[in-house]
Amino acid sequence: MNAAKEFFLKYSLQIVVLLLVVGIMVMVSPGFRGEAALFSSLERLIPLGVIAAGLAVTMIAGEFDLSVASMAAFAGAIAVQLGGLGLIASILIATVVGVLLGSLQGWVIARLGISSLVFTVGTLILLRGATWLATDGVPVTLTDYKLSDALMVRIWVFTPLSLTTIAVLAVLGIFLSRTRWGREISSIGGARQEAVASGVKLRSRLVLAFAISGGCGALAGALSSFRGGSATPDGLANMLLLALAAVLIGGVSLTGGRGGMINVAFGIAITAVLAAGMSSIGVKAFVTELFTGVLLLVVILLEFAISKAVAYRASLQRRRPHLAVA
Amino acid sequence: MTSTASIAADFTARPTRGSVVRFVNSHTLPLLLAAVFIASAISTPDFATFANIRAILINTSIVGIIAVSMTAITISGNFFSLGIASSTVLAGIVFLAVSGLTGSALAGLGAAVAVSVTLGIMQGLIVGAGLNPVITTLAVGSVIYGLVAIATKGAVVTAGSVDVAWLATWNFLEIPLPVYIFVLFTAVAWFLTEHTLIGRNIHLLGANRATARNSGISPQATTIWAFIAFGVGLGVAGALNASQLHQMQANDLAGLTMDVIAAVLVGGTAVSGGEGSPTRSALGALLIVALGNIMLLHGLDNGWRVFLVGGIVVVLVVALHVLRKVSTR
Repeated sequence: MNAAKEFFLKYSLQIVVLLLVVGIMVMVSPGFRGEAALFSSLERLIPLGVIAAGLAVTMIAGEFDLSVASMAAFAGAIAVQLGGLGLIASILIATVVGVLLGSLQGWVIARLGISSLVFTVGTLILLRGATWLATDGVPVTLTDYKLSDALMVRIWVFTPLSLTTIAVLAVLGIFLSRTRWGREISSIGGARQEAVASGVKLRSRLVLAFAISGGCGALAGALSSFRGGSATPDGLANMLLLALAAVLIGGVSLTGGRGGMINVAFGIAITAVLAAGMSSIGVKAFVTELFTGVLLLVVILLEFAISKAVAYRASLQRRRPHLAVA
Repeated sequence: MTSTASIAADFTARPTRGSVVRFVNSHTLPLLLAAVFIASAISTPDFATFANIRAILINTSIVGIIAVSMTAITISGNFFSLGIASSTVLAGIVFLAVSGLTGSALAGLGAAVAVSVTLGIMQGLIVGAGLNPVITTLAVGSVIYGLVAIATKGAVVTAGSVDVAWLATWNFLEIPLPVYIFVLFTAVAWFLTEHTLIGRNIHLLGANRATARNSGISPQATTIWAFIAFGVGLGVAGALNASQLHQMQANDLAGLTMDVIAAVLVGGTAVSGGEGSPTRSALGALLIVALGNIMLLHGLDNGWRVFLVGGIVVVLVVALHVLRKVSTR
């Protein structure tokens, strides 16, 4: 009982926003009801949810991986072309490629101490170019359409796609909060100097964080391309905005350290319901992007205002005993 | 005597390493640019023709104007904007619409600049207050894209029967107006950042925010100035681009954001702030466009261009970072 109360208090803002979004969507869209609504929202989890989860890990570690969307597009192109090897094998290979490229990025960033924002904007362009090369600049389609049928099997409101996302979120959540390496990743985001001073291996944790975001991006891209049956050279480009919005709306701090996978799950749920609800009333994708952008702006402004208010309050409390002495 | 001599020798010897680094740091880009031009002039028959060089300059002018105007933001320590493409499209559409209504391309240009500067001030206010510039510009960019798509219903916007093309085609010595505007823009931006108080404030803010604030520089006002400069560049570039194409729609210019960021990064402006110059961004833009042109002449498609640009950005960013680390050690 106490734990539940604590949970509601800790995530009150996210719960309120989620309920608001669900309420508004149910009100404006007559078709957005029950199982159908739940199913269409859950189907939004691929690629959004897995990409957001990966991005969140680097943000919790106090870094940025702007290349996730390009990584997803690149892995999608690889996976579709390896389709002949079978569904599981091609998804696995694409994911491993993502993990390796992600580790390489993390290693360079950690080894050289270069700003991850700058380095990953370079790899964002590089991987987009690699996607163009891998697809020869034209959409690549799956030769065997039946291959992806296994991903569309519907189990009540779930499909293997949404179940994968939930599994990824759960595994990453347990990893970050219950294992030593996971906690160390959060610690280098919150208080890097203190973490290093107390013996955290900064380099290998950064490599790990970027390996996770690379792997998540690749997995999401591969799954999403299989669902669509094709990979395009310029696909998934707007995923950076949507994933970033999901992570920040969920309450993960921009400066690192604060927030976990439960925050990310709330953020993904809010953006997924928004997107699914909007498309159920026949709104075009760019209107959804507009609303996501507005929501993102509101959230970062709100977070900024709250942090200023907290800092102001802390400064008042610090001053009080001083005044008493005077 | 010997000790003073050795100290003096030591003292004069010390900066050599720094100066080598400084030489490489400040000359890499011009040398690279020269190497690319010479190599392609030899290997590619159609490269060194007047028509081709002219085409490169025309294409550079749009990317270049934006890159030059964004440099102030980067120097001030506010990284870069991820909303370039949609802001430029907005400026282009405002230019076409206002030109169509008033019958004057100059009125359209003024309106485009006014709208861009207003949006720049708004973003400058948010970023200046201390919010993350990359996220802010990404969010504002997507809002602008959404609003433009809704307002135009995704359709192509033109200026109707009004002649707006002269802005892009008027030429002197066979070189059209946008190229001159680009050169003028670079010169003004160079003067403003190197030789005025506001330019120095922008440098200092990027080099050390705390020191800048302690010496009485307002981070808010300085950041807003940087975003105003950016807004002017976006407005002018959007109008010129729309006048080149005679039309504009919400989905245009998809690759522009990355080209501009690449130009600034390749130019060697330190993204951590405090270091860099608009002239280097202009050269960076020239390099990026020239590379695309060479790829095109060799029959390689867009993929190779993007891949190569990404590769150069990654390599140069790493190289400059390592060089700076060595020179400050």
